[in-house]
Amino acid sequence: MPAAFSAKRPGRLPRLLLLCLCLSGGSPADATMTTQDASQSLASSLTKMQAGLTESSPEPMTTIQTANWPTQGSPSDHLTLGHNGSTPALLGPDLTTQEFKQATKENMSNVTFVEYEVLLPGVSGTSMEKNITLDSATIIELSCRLDNKYSHLKSLQVTWKRGNETIRHIDKTENSWSIQLKILDSSKLGNYRCILKGEEEISAIFYLQVPKIEGKEKPIVSYEGDSAIMICKSFGYTPIAWTWYKINGSEQIAINDSLVADKYVINSVSANVTHLKILKLTKEDDGVYWCEAAFELGRSKGNLKLKVLSLMVPLKPFLAIVAEVVILVTIVFLYEMYSKKKEKCAEDEKEFDQVEQLKSEESNGLENSSARNRKI
Amino acid sequence: MSPPVPSDLGYVPPDGGWGWAVVFGASVSVGFAYTFPKAFTIYFKELQAVYSISYSQIAWITSIMCATTYGGGPISSILVNRYGSRPVVIFGGLLCGIGMISAAFCTSILQLYICVGFITGFGLALNLQPSVIIIGKYFLKRRPIANGLAMAGSPVMLCTLAPLNQFLFDNFGWRGSFLILGAILLNCCVAGALFRPIRAVPASVKPQVTEEGKDALKKEVTEEAMEMSSPTNVPMENKTEEEGGKDCCEKINQYLDFSLFKHRGFLIYLIGNVLMFLGFFAPIVFLAPYAKHIGIDEYSAAFLLSILAIVDMIARPTTGIIANSKWVRPRIQYFFSFSIAFNGTCHLLCPLASGYTGLVVYSIFFGLAFGMVCAMLFETLMDLVGAARFTSAVGLVTIAECCTILLGPPIGGTLIDTFGDYKYMFIKCGAVMVLAGTFLFIMNYYNYRMLAKEEKERKAKEEDLKSVRTENEGRNNWNRETAQDGPELEPLREEQEGLKKEVNGTNEL
Repeated sequence: MPAAFSAKRPGRLPRLLLLCLCLSGGSPADATMTTQDASQSLASSLTKMQAGLTESSPEPMTTIQTANWPTQGSPSDHLTLGHNGSTPALLGPDLTTQEFKQATKENMSNVTFVEYEVLLPGVSGTSMEKNITLDSATIIELSCRLDNKYSHLKSLQVTWKRGNETIRHIDKTENSWSIQLKILDSSKLGNYRCILKGEEEISAIFYLQVPKIEGKEKPIVSYEGDSAIMICKSFGYTPIAWTWYKINGSEQIAINDSLVADKYVINSVSANVTHLKILKLTKEDDGVYWCEAAFELGRSKGNLKLKVLSLMVPLKPFLAIVAEVVILVTIVFLYEMYSKKKEKCAEDEKEFDQVEQLKSEESNGLENSSARNRKI
Repeated sequence: MSPPVPSDLGYVPPDGGWGWAVVFGASVSVGFAYTFPKAFTIYFKELQAVYSISYSQIAWITSIMCATTYGGGPISSILVNRYGSRPVVIFGGLLCGIGMISAAFCTSILQLYICVGFITGFGLALNLQPSVIIIGKYFLKRRPIANGLAMAGSPVMLCTLAPLNQFLFDNFGWRGSFLILGAILLNCCVAGALFRPIRAVPASVKPQVTEEGKDALKKEVTEEAMEMSSPTNVPMENKTEEEGGKDCCEKINQYLDFSLFKHRGFLIYLIGNVLMFLGFFAPIVFLAPYAKHIGIDEYSAAFLLSILAIVDMIARPTTGIIANSKWVRPRIQYFFSFSIAFNGTCHLLCPLASGYTGLVVYSIFFGLAFGMVCAMLFETLMDLVGAARFTSAVGLVTIAECCTILLGPPIGGTLIDTFGDYKYMFIKCGAVMVLAGTFLFIMNYYNYRMLAKEEKERKAKEEDLKSVRTENEGRNNWNRETAQDGPELEPLREEQEGLKKEVNGTNEL
């Protein structure tokens, strides 16, 4: 029997590396991450990921930036994405002092810095897209870069938009433009577009969203009087809280296990997984259920469907198959009896013929022997 | 090389006719017995969630099922020796059905162990052995083909049961599926109904003429039998005559022939097979996880197993046909050893396979080798011990194999966990099988030579006996000629010839 063995879980780092692939296809060969300790009193590090084509410079671009405020804890080295240490955040040099102060206030919470870049093709029509999943407060820099071979295109008008609202951007380099966003709540999530207007329009969209919750596509089938378990999982990101809802028509009812203790049991095997066990199922429990995970930046839902059947439902195919078995067995036995009878009839006939034959031979033999005796 | 062992059943098997219906029934039975534990793993995830248990606890269900199926072999053999194949298989089918139906109403994992593990497992044991036994009773000349076709039921059933299980689970949940599976397992009773008992009719007896003639004939028969019987092997007819003089050993031997442990061919087969099963099933269990480990996605990994099953399906009857050909049949033991060694070599070469194409090639060869070995698994045993003693032989062999079959995958799993690499598991399996194949090859060469020697000795003895007997016959015939008529001597002489053949047959063992 298969022994249990643990498959290696991919760490966050390689996953994020893959995320930052430039969409025109390239290997994350040039992505590097280095951290460095800046000074004794301050600790800072910047994690920067940059994907590039083989044409682009293979030299890793690492910059170290320091911030001038006393840190809370002891100097720490790493600031890896999504890691929950009490590390200070870094701000780009172009942020105002106000935001600077705000950042210090939020110093207590875990704020991380992420950078994403998209390499734009020179041809219009194809819209580049990137899905970015955020679960906690983040400062994010989105940049669009034009490939070097298209740098001949002059007079490009670059705009960054979210919906109809234009966002002020910075020219990072000659060919790249970026915006910095502080995502602290769900209002800042959404779709951000960078549009390059020249002779043709080239654009890219960044989808900022909360982590998706995995429910179950196929309905869970159970029976009246039995119990059912529904499981929701969140991959990679740990939600703050889980809530279960039952959908009745258009309204959603929160499931509270303390109220009806012997009907619903909610427990979490781990922080990323939640179980809802429904006991003593009835037809009314049939329907759609939502498991909602609350993240810092918003809520995310998983969809589950429960089907409650009565015992009659499987009984019909069961009885049909049993009937088929009985019929087949009867046919086999009847056929056997019939063929045995036929054999016996045939045998009796043969025996009868043989007896007749031998009888005649006997009488011949007797005649012969009597003839012999007479002869002697 | 010696010719195939002539029938020691006391009759000539039909080699066709109703035999093909029996083969079909046997393939259904064998299919259920081998594939049901594998197809059952679909329910593991759901049962784990429902009963809040770990994977290893749920895997015990299939372990218990397999253990009972193989461990119940001797009991199966005893029952078949006593009652014949048909009642045992029908009872086995009913037991399987009852086991699964009661499992549908289980409320704890322990109840599942009992219902699915023990009851269904034992029912499958009562299905597997009699199906294989009855093929030996219906076929002699075409036995390898019949065996190949019957064993081909296993991959066919796997290809149908696995998607069927998934469909049932999606539509009826696990309880409903168990209920319906119970009904499906009842089809084993249909297979059992097909196992018409075959009467031991002596081949050369003409229909009896008169009552007088019959009695006189019988007397002559027993007299001749006692004259010609050798001290070690007792002809079957004599057993019924001398019932009073049996001691307890012989009584046990009537149910389960332990004297097989003195049989050279049986011992060779037992040791070789017990060794082989240590590395037989583990690669199948770990093929999909290995594929996922080297980066292949889940569906392609599952597809590898489908390729294996399809190649297996074609390989089994083909092997049966090849094994039946006049060049291979006398040397079938060599063919069997070759296929085991071939299987082992496939495993040894597997770590060299890189990427998906390499694994597909490995699956194809593995499927081929697996089918070859399975098709000849029981045929070679029948070939060595003869069809009459096969009933007990198969029971003893399965209970001995039971231990290594169950140990194989966990040992492989431990190797994988310790070294973190699958290649050691493949190397271990390959090495064990190549060793088993070589062992069987060498020992069977020795066995064939010993058999040929014994045959020569027996022929020499027969020549002596014949010269003595012709003298006696001459005297007897002269006595009888005055008492009986000419034509009636014919059946008597034929009977003598028939008996001679039969005793020779038992001597060959």
